[in-house]
Amino acid sequence: MVELKEKISEVFRDTNLVICWREGFDPIHATPHFVREESQIEDSIFNLFCVHNLCVYLPFLKEKAGILVKGCDSRTLIQFLQEGLIRREDVVIIGISCRGIIDVGKLMREVLYEAVTGVSIDGDSIKVKTVSREREFQLTSLLADKCKICRYPNPLIYDHLIGEPVESKVSWDMAYEDIREFEKKPLEDRLSFWTKEIGKCIRCYACRNACPLCICRDRCIAETRDPHFTSQSVELKEKFMFHFIHAVHLAGRCVECGECERACPVGIPVKMMKKKINLEMKELFDYETGINVDDKPPMYTFKAEEEKIKEHEL
Amino acid sequence: MRVGVFICHCGNNIAGTVDVQKVAEEMRKIPGVAYSTTYVYTCSEPGQNEIIEAIKKYKLDRVVVAACSPRMHELTFRKAVEKASLNRYFLEMANIREHISWVGDDKELNTQKAIDVVRMAVAKVMNNKPLFSSSFKLTKRVLVIGGGVAGMQAALDCADGGLDVVLVEKSPSIGGMMARLDKTFPTIDCSICILGPKMVDVAQNERIKLYAYSEIEDVKGYIGNYEVTIRKKATYVDWNKCTGCGLCMEKCPSKNAYDYFNFGIAPTRAINIPFPQAIPKKAKIDPNYCRYFLKGKCGVCAKICPTKAIDYDMKDELVKEDVGAIIVATGYSLMGVENFPEYGGGKYKDVITGIQYERILNASGPTGGHIKRPSDGKEPETVVFISCCGSRDKSVGIPYCSNFCCMYIAKQAILTKDHLPKSQSYVFYMDIRAPGKGYDEFTRRAQEEYGVRYIRGRVSKIYPRGEKLIVRGADTLLGIQVEVEADLVVLANAVISNPDAAKLAEKLRISYDTFGFYVESHPKLRPVETNTSGVFLAGACQGPKDIPASVSQGSAAASKVLALFSKDVLESDPQVSYVNPNVCVGCMKCVKTCPFGAIKEEELRDGRKVAKVIETVCAGCGICTSTCPCGAIQLQHFTDNQILAEVYAFASGK
Repeated sequence: MVELKEKISEVFRDTNLVICWREGFDPIHATPHFVREESQIEDSIFNLFCVHNLCVYLPFLKEKAGILVKGCDSRTLIQFLQEGLIRREDVVIIGISCRGIIDVGKLMREVLYEAVTGVSIDGDSIKVKTVSREREFQLTSLLADKCKICRYPNPLIYDHLIGEPVESKVSWDMAYEDIREFEKKPLEDRLSFWTKEIGKCIRCYACRNACPLCICRDRCIAETRDPHFTSQSVELKEKFMFHFIHAVHLAGRCVECGECERACPVGIPVKMMKKKINLEMKELFDYETGINVDDKPPMYTFKAEEEKIKEHEL
Repeated sequence: MRVGVFICHCGNNIAGTVDVQKVAEEMRKIPGVAYSTTYVYTCSEPGQNEIIEAIKKYKLDRVVVAACSPRMHELTFRKAVEKASLNRYFLEMANIREHISWVGDDKELNTQKAIDVVRMAVAKVMNNKPLFSSSFKLTKRVLVIGGGVAGMQAALDCADGGLDVVLVEKSPSIGGMMARLDKTFPTIDCSICILGPKMVDVAQNERIKLYAYSEIEDVKGYIGNYEVTIRKKATYVDWNKCTGCGLCMEKCPSKNAYDYFNFGIAPTRAINIPFPQAIPKKAKIDPNYCRYFLKGKCGVCAKICPTKAIDYDMKDELVKEDVGAIIVATGYSLMGVENFPEYGGGKYKDVITGIQYERILNASGPTGGHIKRPSDGKEPETVVFISCCGSRDKSVGIPYCSNFCCMYIAKQAILTKDHLPKSQSYVFYMDIRAPGKGYDEFTRRAQEEYGVRYIRGRVSKIYPRGEKLIVRGADTLLGIQVEVEADLVVLANAVISNPDAAKLAEKLRISYDTFGFYVESHPKLRPVETNTSGVFLAGACQGPKDIPASVSQGSAAASKVLALFSKDVLESDPQVSYVNPNVCVGCMKCVKTCPFGAIKEEELRDGRKVAKVIETVCAGCGICTSTCPCGAIQLQHFTDNQILAEVYAFASGK
């Protein structure tokens, strides 16, 4: 923690703004923290509850900033740089090697939504004190699903690095096994799965707002009526339309930070659609989002001939 | 809004399988449709007048014509509504002929589909906006790609019409395939004797700038204003110094270079001038065979050259030319002899292709015009010609006829008899196709006067016996198997498109068919135009063609360019993309995906960066509109809302 604060103040001297985390309303909720004054550095933290992908703020920031990123978040920065949404010289990156973060939802369910008054972590276990009792859990049982299949625990791009490198034993195939398994199901089952899941959507757009790559903001096609792709009605087809648009707009862009799914108040597995498209992108274009700054996103180029799409072959 | 709907019978073309009255009735039920009627030929003058009258009488402000493909008559009807003082983009066409009446014969289903399609057009036209074209200047220079007979004719005609011409030829000399031929059918006049003067005309014409041994690297721009990048390939000989004396070729020690001009029938030198009449008559080194390039030492040509023209360090050079129109005359290729293993092609030296035999017959060819077979140099007594090798053969993927083989076989058989009076020629054929002027008489003459024996049937197998080749085949007229002991077998190999035809088409943004031949705008009525305005076709790049047809097309393409350049300004097409700066979020995805470089970044006064379309460069392909996440960029006349209106009209069924 001392190292973290030292790094933040070092970067702060250069940028006058560092985006990091601080503790929220209780010990298990962190919240984004904009350090604009030296005195605010003291509040900064990094712990198992720093879930947010802070990169979401960057494309709209009109000033130079320091930013804290976990391994997964760092891919967002690379994707931003590939798409030209930020300039490298406008951002100072403090990377943090990460062992995974806790799915607060899982924890809340375990403690039956009681108010949490204290948390202490000891090695692989976590003690949670609520108003009525204290319980101990294995960390692995509370890890976010995305962390269990994390292939990039270490930042892929950074100016300063905090923490010892973490090894990942997850392969590409392991990371996408869930999608391949789901695809094996018959069409009817998949349709009824999505009908049920998308049916829950209340069109709050939390998934979109949390997504760092959703850059249309006020011009989002889900809310504008010109062009009139969706309407305000709560019909299932409108909900589907919104989610399809969201997924397609992220084709070859989604870095799987999982913020959409985390933000969803009704628990729709929205990341699945994006993972499916990423799988296709890998197979069709041999492209993985947010890995190398110099990669060209396939949807950001025009090629008369694609290597694996043989429409022009005689 | 007052929409008028005009349903065309097209004689019986549409009315035969679509209940046009019912379609018209259904349209009357749509709110906003003020008038709906049918007419027997809407494109006729009375038909057009009816539209004009109806616009005035019923105060129509939108018009839907349900008839043929907009490719046929959209312009006709646009002009008609314009005469009635409507903006031409308030016209929408519904294609109920090519898309409906011609493809289905169930009248009830066709009628229902027609109702859907016309209803969609009504929905779209209600969302149409008036559009206006602007005008732009044009560069009155023309690029001709390909220096064969078609390209040369086009270049000469354009130059005669007062245009500056840039002629780009891939090989070291102009002349193309015709320069390789010995005689031409049906007159048996010497090919190079009639082509030579034209080649000289091209060389001497001050208006024609010739780039030989050059290829098109890149084409930017649009009709009237193209910027073409030409790659001048390295010849390793300074052509400003080379006099074409041929000393280098004589002394070159590398004697086994592949002779592209002679289709490999005999080797040539690594440094060579392709043929005596070559224009430009300049030497060129083939680095695949040159000892200097392969082994790092030799330099004989550099020593012998009297003008010190050899430059081993020469590099490809890129030059840019501005032109206003492009004529594509890239010609064709031929299937190699190795593609016919059943005939021993590539295995038996005396099984050769028609064009190789042409070189043997030719006085400037490797045998000096004496017919000698490649294996042992003996004069053949029996020559067998096999027609349709590859052509009209679905099993090799070439269902089409190669057009001129029947004729050149007859010619070569006649010439064989002329050269070797004791020889006997046989022709295995599927059909004799000789529909041109004087053509049938010519093939008759081969049979009747020259005693060429035509056997209707296919050859199944060729195998050697001693010095002879046994040609076994069927005579389907007699219903028997035949065997001919041949000394030489000539295969009429199929005409195919150039291997890089598709690549060039992509650069020019013209369409090509599954065989790689370029597609004309209309097979009958627009035979030398492409669907890309400003790009024209001539010769066999569009499909197998003989010399008269290629020359006609060369002249036709030139006349199209001259007509185009008779205007001083051109009207731009307003059906291009437009960015609404209030909606654009500045992600610049469109800038990166535009294949034409037609979108640029623009900074607004408040410092916000947005995309902006350069109207004259935009080709209206619509890729940007599908990449824009927020719908800020819209293709005019095909906006999201216009297309959505059609989708809703179709999906809602009302």
